[in-house]
Amino acid sequence: MTQAAARKPVGDSVARVNEEVAVGEDLEFQRSWWRFERIVWSCFMIIIALDLAGAFGRGPLAHARITSADHSLSVRYERIQRTGTPSVMTIRIDAEAVRGGEATLFVSDKLVSALGAQRIIPQPATTRVGNGGLTYTFPVTSPPSIVQIELEPPGPGRFRFEISAGAKSATVTADVWVVP
Amino acid sequence: MATIVHAVLGYFVLLLTVRILSRRPGGQLTLFEFVIIFLVGGVAIGATVGRDQSVTNCATAIITIGFLHRLVSWVKEKSPRMGAILDGTPLVLLKDGYWQREVMRGMRIDPEDVMAAARSKQVKSIFDVKFAILERNGTISIITREGHGR
Repeated sequence: MTQAAARKPVGDSVARVNEEVAVGEDLEFQRSWWRFERIVWSCFMIIIALDLAGAFGRGPLAHARITSADHSLSVRYERIQRTGTPSVMTIRIDAEAVRGGEATLFVSDKLVSALGAQRIIPQPATTRVGNGGLTYTFPVTSPPSIVQIELEPPGPGRFRFEISAGAKSATVTADVWVVP
Repeated sequence: MATIVHAVLGYFVLLLTVRILSRRPGGQLTLFEFVIIFLVGGVAIGATVGRDQSVTNCATAIITIGFLHRLVSWVKEKSPRMGAILDGTPLVLLKDGYWQREVMRGMRIDPEDVMAAARSKQVKSIFDVKFAILERNGTISIITREGHGR
């Protein structure tokens, strides 16, 4: 680059106030910006309200409960979960689903893979793999029995899970939305 | 991959949030620079790197933010409009003895803020101020009636 090309004469293109001070004020732009700010703040308020309500998980809107047709199995869970954030699914097995002092619980693969089942409490007596999921058995002394599964979804998406206590009438299916 | 996406989202969400916070007098840094400080300082670090706090992951996040900062700087340089959107424009708060009430109200600035800026420039009375200008970085420039910028 030549010396002449590397230099640029000084110019004054900045808008002046009262023909005196070069300020570069653009009041029309600023008015548009203030309108935009009001819209963004309104959006922020809506986001906060939705978050408080649990629309993004961890709130009243996120809590859900489903019960099987024969009422022998009920599940409390979070219908909206967050990626990498732990939650607990509580499964209640009533006396109707207990046979020979043993409760059988089938959970679909989606609960393990997509919703990231980390731990099941209490520890099952046996675990079998197959039919698109895991089948646990628990010794039961006095129903109802409570089983908890700790979940920690690894990624966002919409996932359907199925839990069954043996019979078809003791089966529940539900969708869980996992937000990023 | 997730770290880069999180860093990009975090950068622009933070840029928007900081930008729509009105400039307050006394700022030494532009809002644009605050974004970098906030990000590197760790406001978004949790969502950016998650549990993977390895050197590789953190370095990837920092490099991504560095690239974004450079890209936004380049866009600002090429487009004065984008410069105005990202940094705002200077605004006149006081002109020839009159407060510019629309600007004062819009920027949430009180006459006391202007007077404080005037005092810091050794101006004793508000009547000596001909122009008060809110700069892009949040400072208030004072030009006195004698015409001496202070």
